Amino acid sequence: MYSLMANCCNWLKRWREPIRKVTLIMVGLDNAGKTATVKGIQGESPEDVAPTVGFSKIDLKQGRFEVTIFDLGGGKRIRGIWKNYYAESYGIIFVVDSSDVERMEETKETMSELLRHPKISGKPVLVLANKQDKEGALAEADVIECLSLEKLVNEHKCLCQIEPCSAIIGYGKKIDKSIKKGLLWLLHIIAKDFDALYERIQKDTTEQKAAEEQEKRERAERVRKIREESYLCIF
Amino acid sequence: MGEVQKGLLSVIQKLKGSEEQELRIVLLGLDNAGKTTLLKRLASEEVNTITPTQGFNIKSVHSHGFKLNVWDIGGQRAIRTYWKKYLGSTDMLIYVIDSADQKRFEETGQELSELVEDENLTSVPLLVFANKQDLATASSAADIAEGLNLHTYRDRPWQIQACSALSGEGVQDGMNWICSQITSRKK
Repeated sequence: MYSLMANCCNWLKRWREPIRKVTLIMVGLDNAGKTATVKGIQGESPEDVAPTVGFSKIDLKQGRFEVTIFDLGGGKRIRGIWKNYYAESYGIIFVVDSSDVERMEETKETMSELLRHPKISGKPVLVLANKQDKEGALAEADVIECLSLEKLVNEHKCLCQIEPCSAIIGYGKKIDKSIKKGLLWLLHIIAKDFDALYERIQKDTTEQKAAEEQEKRERAERVRKIREESYLCIF
Repeated sequence: MGEVQKGLLSVIQKLKGSEEQELRIVLLGLDNAGKTTLLKRLASEEVNTITPTQGFNIKSVHSHGFKLNVWDIGGQRAIRTYWKKYLGSTDMLIYVIDSADQKRFEETGQELSELVEDENLTSVPLLVFANKQDLATASSAADIAEGLNLHTYRDRPWQIQACSALSGEGVQDGMNWICSQITSRKK
């Protein structure tokens, strides 16, 4: 009887919780399986994806959350854009190709650089040790060791969970349960500390937006001048 | 009898696979970015005799089971004001940049940011071709993405593809992205 009442209370509490908008970024090296994972979550077939050298996003509803996931290109030469999305992200999904042992060092460096960033440190990280379906894929413990994950997340005070998974075995309702589990964990952690995160993100994004607006205005002005000059040249 | 024939025809069409989907793609960019060369490359035509486009060129390209109607519109300053007239019901925007013309990055970025504000292009996916990668002085795709402030475009998917319309390198990769975008949007 008591548990029934407790359940009701919980349910009421949840019902009264406001809907929260949360942005996550999905990063990792190229060919780790970020776009495949995103597509699977969205309920689309994760086969036949082209390498992302840019940006795309998906929106989904999960409980009381409206989640936006930014899927960012992972190639060495496009990673430079990641930092522009750090300010607004509540959490990070880092995808690793567990079968690509040769690139673990690069993965480690990339992750270390990511977590070191002042706009990321302290935010929760979900590591998806993807491609477990492939032969020779490293197990969870080995991935942790290769990336020195423990040391890294402790150093930067990021709560972290690792989920071994394979993004390509199913999508929509048949998606690898580990991916779903990881995502729920990430949202749970975010919910626990929501107010502090919210405040931090508001502050960071306001600053970033102001800087972007300023840059935009300045550029418009510079281009206007160039246009005027070239206009004068014609006559 | 006519009815029967029609019914039969649709059955045959279904068996053949659904009719080819038509899509409208506009190809824009400053003058001398290489739009027309790119268009010809897409249509597998000779690319050695190109003159500045005064009006527009249109070609249909078949790819991945789609019929892509690609509109290439002249990029010179005086005719850029006409771009807006071509933007109705566009499925995809391709923006071409001369990667070796660093002096005009700001101008091309400004044109692009004004362009995407057009209501006809709301949430239309954007493919940026960083063209002329065959030139030694070409900037990398990532640098161009940075220079154009592409990260401020959050209301649509975007992709930057390094390419050389002259040699054809990278062009097909760009087309593959377009088709993957369309497939996921239509579902």
